[in-house]
Amino acid sequence: MNDDPEQLDKHVEDLLQDRRPERTPLGDDAALRARQTAAMLRAAKPGAGLPSKEFLERMQGSIQGWVGERSARPEPGARPSRRALLLTGAAGIAAGVAAAVGIDRLGKSPAPSNNQALVQNNGTWKPVRALADLPEGTPVAFRSGAIEGFLIRQGQEVKGLSAVCTHMGCILNYSKFRKQIECPCHGATFQTDGQPTDQYNSPLPRLPSLNVRIQRGQVEVYTV
Amino acid sequence: MSEDHKTGAAAFASSGKVVALPQADATQDQDHLTWAYQTHVTAIYQYIYSRVGNRPDAEDLSAQVFMKAITGMRSDVSVPELRSWLYRVAQTTLADHWREYYAEDAGELEDDVTRPPAPRENPEAVLRVDSLLATLPESYRRVLELRFLRGYSVRETAQELNLSETNVKVLQFRALNRAGRERGRTT
Repeated sequence: MNDDPEQLDKHVEDLLQDRRPERTPLGDDAALRARQTAAMLRAAKPGAGLPSKEFLERMQGSIQGWVGERSARPEPGARPSRRALLLTGAAGIAAGVAAAVGIDRLGKSPAPSNNQALVQNNGTWKPVRALADLPEGTPVAFRSGAIEGFLIRQGQEVKGLSAVCTHMGCILNYSKFRKQIECPCHGATFQTDGQPTDQYNSPLPRLPSLNVRIQRGQVEVYTV
Repeated sequence: MSEDHKTGAAAFASSGKVVALPQADATQDQDHLTWAYQTHVTAIYQYIYSRVGNRPDAEDLSAQVFMKAITGMRSDVSVPELRSWLYRVAQTTLADHWREYYAEDAGELEDDVTRPPAPRENPEAVLRVDSLLATLPESYRRVLELRFLRGYSVRETAQELNLSETNVKVLQFRALNRAGRERGRTT
């Protein structure tokens, strides 16, 4: 079947509405490439492509179940693992940063007084938003390089906060209704200054701050 | 804990420093493994989303990736191994997806699946899109920006560009095909 503008637009419209597109055999490579390009563009829309709270919760449970089943099966030729997991490499992908932030929890160490910025060196300044686009006092989510964060404007100043939960590394959302930062996974909540509003037995660390500057009306974040 | 732990996040993010967790018994190993997988859900979901562009497919395929990855892997893995394993499973799962639903032989269509895992890729999807758009003629770039990045309907795009709706669809068709060829050249 030959591709045509109507058929491709139907596919695009499905992506824009976050619907599963109809699956039709495609005539050639070009038709598939056009659809893969459409997917990539769709994902680049600000705020697109983040998993829903429900999906994350479901996956948390599924993963626990699958790991449990896997571990219950004996591994032929393998001795029981006593090896600690090593966290290393790949300087600062988002998950890596999340993992590192989570380490304190697993180590049961006292929460650090983490007022340091998350990225300290080897980073670069990347523009993420125009200052004029930021509302006063309401956190705006952004993603740049390895960093998932919030920008919070206060007059002519902007503060940056990590958007990775210090509990288990999920990506946080801001609730305009409750005026707080919320974790979709296990319900941790934070004030817009990064302080946890804790219902956990041991208090969570605060959200690390990010280095932010304003250059010619653009808000830039120091990121890896 | 030590000074290392206080600055752990920063040191890790900037230098790839190795941080060992305390030695664990079998139950703790299992917890660590569960946790290590869980911290990758968002990244894998985003990686897949940027390739399929819609939530239902991204959710189904992500769940498949984790199920296949966990049931097929040793339990004594390090996180870097686990991460590249997850991306490798994600790539083959995507290749199967294209093959099954859109084309008879997607193996040679999608260059992405033969590339080494690129864990940092998704957060940079926006940058990749910017550089892709920069290769296109102005009218192509405009139509893609309005439709995808600003979410304009065909009608709104037509008004903005002073074209008919049919012309917008034709322009979008040419722009996506041209951009698809450009991607094929650079990947």
